[in-house]
Amino acid sequence: MKRRRLLQSIAALPALPAAAQTAPAPAPEFPKLAETAADAVGQPRGRLFGRDQMAALEKLADLLMPKAGDRPGAVEAGAPAFLDFLIGESNAARRKLYQDGLDRLNSESARLYSKPFRDASATEAKAILAPLAAKWTYAPPADPFARFLKEVKDDLMQATINSRVYAAAVSRRSRSAAGMGAYWLPLD
Amino acid sequence: MAKTYDVLIIGSGAAGGMAAWVLARAGASCLMLDAGPLIDYDKQRVMKPVYDLPYRGFGKPGRFPHVTQASEFDANLWADEKQNPYSYDKSDPFYWVRIRAVGGKTLRWGRASWRLSDHVFKAKDHDGFGDNWPIGYRDLAPFYDRVEPMIHVMGRNEGLPQMPDGNIQIDESPDSESVKRFIAACRKRDIPTTKSRRATGTLASSTNLLLPAALESGNLTLTPNAVVREITIDPATGLANGAVFVDRRSKNEYEVKARVVVLGASTLESCRILLNSKSTRFAQGLGNSSGTLGQYLFDQFYVKNVVTAVVPEARGGKGGRGLMGGGGYVPRFRNLQRNDRKFLRGYAWDFGGGFTPSPRYLPLYGEELLKEMNELQGTGFSLTTMGEALPRKENFVRIQPDVKDEWGIPSLHITQKYGDNEYAMAKDSMETASELCTDAGFQVIAAHSQMVPPGESIHELGTVRMGADPKSSVLNGWNQSHDVRNLFVVDGSSFVCGGVQNPTLTILALSMRASEYILDQRRKGAL
Ligand SMILES: Cc1cc2nc3c(=O)[nH]c(=O)nc-3n(C[C@H](O)[C@H](O)[C@H](O)COP(=O)(O)OP(=O)(O)OC[C@H]3O[C@@H](n4cnc5c(N)ncnc54)[C@H](O)[C@@H]3O)c2cc1C
Repeated sequence: MKRRRLLQSIAALPALPAAAQTAPAPAPEFPKLAETAADAVGQPRGRLFGRDQMAALEKLADLLMPKAGDRPGAVEAGAPAFLDFLIGESNAARRKLYQDGLDRLNSESARLYSKPFRDASATEAKAILAPLAAKWTYAPPADPFARFLKEVKDDLMQATINSRVYAAAVSRRSRSAAGMGAYWLPLD
Repeated sequence: MAKTYDVLIIGSGAAGGMAAWVLARAGASCLMLDAGPLIDYDKQRVMKPVYDLPYRGFGKPGRFPHVTQASEFDANLWADEKQNPYSYDKSDPFYWVRIRAVGGKTLRWGRASWRLSDHVFKAKDHDGFGDNWPIGYRDLAPFYDRVEPMIHVMGRNEGLPQMPDGNIQIDESPDSESVKRFIAACRKRDIPTTKSRRATGTLASSTNLLLPAALESGNLTLTPNAVVREITIDPATGLANGAVFVDRRSKNEYEVKARVVVLGASTLESCRILLNSKSTRFAQGLGNSSGTLGQYLFDQFYVKNVVTAVVPEARGGKGGRGLMGGGGYVPRFRNLQRNDRKFLRGYAWDFGGGFTPSPRYLPLYGEELLKEMNELQGTGFSLTTMGEALPRKENFVRIQPDVKDEWGIPSLHITQKYGDNEYAMAKDSMETASELCTDAGFQVIAAHSQMVPPGESIHELGTVRMGADPKSSVLNGWNQSHDVRNLFVVDGSSFVCGGVQNPTLTILALSMRASEYILDQRRKGAL
């Protein structure tokens, strides 16, 4: 992909209209039409998480991977909605880990502060997120809630860094296209 | 009537590719069958940003439960696990990493290229465990000498008996300060270090280094998409006379004929083909009069990032090229002169620095985490352990007749477990690596001794092993079947033990040596 087309697609800009070009070249017989990906034009519809679970995930996203300067955070990157899709596609154990983990955020918040996790302050949330302060171990924590928190931390960060808006912010800053790779088409 | 080829070569990776390079160029008419397609790099790959992939780079959940190396970018290159099933006991997973395409895993290998020494070939003489190879370093050295320039190996020669010098380009690049500090810490304990030794070039695959010259000779016929089911035997002579294969796309079956069969379909696939090649004469699999076909499976165990450390002086963006970056290799140093450890044999490390440590090591989140990550940019230094897994009879593969692949070919059940020796070695490697990093003035932020599951190192070896005694081995010292003299198995399945060295250079040297032996035997009329 050429750099101009890449930057266009990062910013989800429509291709320049023909009239704006100085000397219109004759249309090639097999033209390469400009395209825009689904996630640049639409909002993903919910799949797996219920409303309260999603609200907890949005809050978690903001706490774990906040916006920093001109770099978007997990919320701006649509990471919660993406994880709703990704985890929805995953196996039953992973779906359960996530759903139970999100429920636990809400139930802990209700128990400690009588409000849903979404409305907990950063200080209040810190007590609930205490397992994230534990020292790293190779083996995942035995407690499923602690395991969930470790996984969701990694997943939210990766989903943010690999997002279109994050790439656009990085490209603006360093003029290098972020996250490009050689994609292997299916082998015939 | 189809042509009878001089040599049928099964597989086009390192093993098969080298056989074709030797045999076709010497005038033997060769047919090469490979189960996968021929890849056109220009058509097959397109540049894409990660956010345009359907799963934002996470990959389709569950698509590759055993291939941790697969990314969403290259997922279509790895062998599909549903089309190519295999099994293991639930408690002992085996991660079988496969590429089915012309070139095999050489399309993707990391290219680390070390010679084996007599610490491996004659390992039993050193510590009494297992068996010696029927050949020694002296037998293979002339072939290493020729293979290394072919694949453009670069590194440094250190004159170490456990890691023989090579016929290689010398890497004169300077070391960064952090690497020098690590090397100094090793030196204080008499632990050797060297530069990495790797094949160089944009692609170092059989598809660009071996097959073009073989095809140019006019003597090689390359047939992709040919999934070999079995090697056929002439009942009158007991000699191999060809193979049966299934066309990958149409599933039509074909027979081909040859005077000599060279099997190089990769360690476990070659073993599987032999086990599936049953006849009245060889009811337990072709060339299996010893009963050892499938046994003595081993690999090298890996402890990935056994230690991750931070170089404190590099914090806050002060790293730079002079202090950070680069890396190297620590050849095996345990149990060389005496066996003075609680385990046999030893391990090596790859080490390197200059990366940003993963956020998962930090017990932080949110702004605090981002701030710390900023501080840690480019400060990381880590080691990965590669240890020798002992070859044991109890680690083996067998055919599962009722579980078949997409082409109706019975699949493998794989049993490989690490034992006390590997666990003890992994622990020693963690403790010693932590001490060395601390001695170098680095701050260790994570250390563990958890080996990846067997198979994940992609160095699976053995199962069709060589040996001096036909009663306890399948091949002789020429990679030739003890039972069927025109059958040769030239890949990693022939290894008796593997040391800590990545195996491909040795596979290439063995295949070259066996192929020249075939030419010699044909000249003498013995084949
Ligand atoms: C990511 C990665 C990194 C690696 N790094 C290193 C490294 O740094 N150093 C090192 O030494 N090694 C490394 N390796 C391992 C190295 O790639 C292998 O040791 C080497 O490719 C083995 O060669 P081979 O010819 O035996 O098998 P392969 O290269 O796997 O080739 C076997 C061929 O046989 C074909 N085949 C299989 N079954 C059949 C059948 N039934 N019929 C017909 N054809 C069949 C396959 O399609 C394939 O093309 C790495 C591997 C990978 C994947």
